[in-house]
Amino acid sequence: MSLFEKFEKNAALYDHLSAIGKNPFTVVMEEVLGPTRARIKGRETVLAGTHNYLGQTFEASAIQAAKDALDHDGTGTTGSRVANGTFAGHKKLEEDLAAYLGMKHCLVFSTGYAANLGAIAGLVDRVQDAVLIDADCHACIYDGCQLSGAETIRFRHNDPENLDKRLSRLDPKYKGKLVCIEGMYSMYGDIAPVKEFVEVAHKHDAFLLVDEAHSFGVYGETGKGVSEAEGVMDQVDFYTGTFSKALASIGGFVASNHPEAEYLRISSNPYRFTASPSPATIASASAALANIKAHPEIRAKLWENAKRLHAAFTQFGLRLAAEPAPVISVLLPTREDAFEAWSFLLEHGVYVNMAIPPGTPGKESLLRLAVSSAHTSDDIDRLVSAYGALAEAFPSARIDTDA
Amino acid sequence: MSGIQEDDDLVFHKITSLLEPLNEKGVKLTRDTDIIADLEIDSVSLLDVVMDIEDNYDISIPVNTISEIKTIGELVDAIHAIKKEQS
Repeated sequence: MSLFEKFEKNAALYDHLSAIGKNPFTVVMEEVLGPTRARIKGRETVLAGTHNYLGQTFEASAIQAAKDALDHDGTGTTGSRVANGTFAGHKKLEEDLAAYLGMKHCLVFSTGYAANLGAIAGLVDRVQDAVLIDADCHACIYDGCQLSGAETIRFRHNDPENLDKRLSRLDPKYKGKLVCIEGMYSMYGDIAPVKEFVEVAHKHDAFLLVDEAHSFGVYGETGKGVSEAEGVMDQVDFYTGTFSKALASIGGFVASNHPEAEYLRISSNPYRFTASPSPATIASASAALANIKAHPEIRAKLWENAKRLHAAFTQFGLRLAAEPAPVISVLLPTREDAFEAWSFLLEHGVYVNMAIPPGTPGKESLLRLAVSSAHTSDDIDRLVSAYGALAEAFPSARIDTDA
Repeated sequence: MSGIQEDDDLVFHKITSLLEPLNEKGVKLTRDTDIIADLEIDSVSLLDVVMDIEDNYDISIPVNTISEIKTIGELVDAIHAIKKEQS
């Protein structure tokens, strides 16, 4: 039974949470009622943990485009991008994304996870290159490093000076250097000083990859992400993103101004050895992209909702992880508190995500709320009321209480 | 523990001082202590401790190296090897 021994520690907790009906990892959306509502455990619930930032899951033009694609191109591509899995829709989406971002090249992958995995493992050579990653980077970036097999060095979160030090002491034997950061980090909703990172990386002749999975469509004057907000879009070497958040579909992409990025298509296994996204998922992503480009007021609404919630939670004295952002996380000192508080919110008709160490940046657990532009006034009222009750019931979630 | 050089001792003490706050069960820390199994800390906490060590000695310990380290003694040895290489 040694193969399963490693599960023992987590299995006990998992089984216990299931037994008491409070397992955050086994939630079923029994019926989806709209972009911000679903039935969970028989109860109509406000969805605030779905990263549906721009509320595009029920956008009429995206649904119609997906239906049309199904009718015209069938249910699946049954092949990888380099074989039979590149349809006109895939190329059009790559062109549209490149045009939107002002980048010369764009490669569509099957998921956001695969995009980062494929970019890093495809770019970095096991022997002659090194990768430097922000300590708080997403698992797919860590996995990409592991898949590359290259020397991987972590630097302190959001600390360009620390990166500078680590690049300075890097063995000169490494020919290529890739630095990986994210635009907005999804656990706390904190953003990266991308401009400073660009300067440090380029000073050391390193390339910079910015994962804007959570910030694409959300940050910047025209929604191009934190890189745009920082005024350095043209200096980012590799811009990666996903279709599963602001664009409410599934898939991912790597955009770049380097013409050599095109060769990732023939050198990156997560690109060439998996089936390409289905015609319908590509069509809905394309339509959602066109829609968010044409309607900047959607992004404005998201920020209005985010600021309203952040202000209300601050007033309740809740311990918040970062400044107002589309992700608003409440910190809790122990994972037991987090499980209880998460269940409490669900019982109050609110679904959020729960995260516990080591999946969180620090030693604390957290409840992660993802704001949507589609949250109605009524949704926001329910969220505020549930978090108000949470602040009352869980002193450990407040800053006025010593945890 | 005999035969360990003075520098080894200093590195050992530095590591144990950084691990002690995470040593909730009060395990006696020796070169043979398995950091993750004996101290019941998670892999990310270990990476964070290593980051403090890196800044203290102004070295970089690759993630790939850390994942192969089990005991405090192995960490001491790895730091020595890297200090030599990067100095």
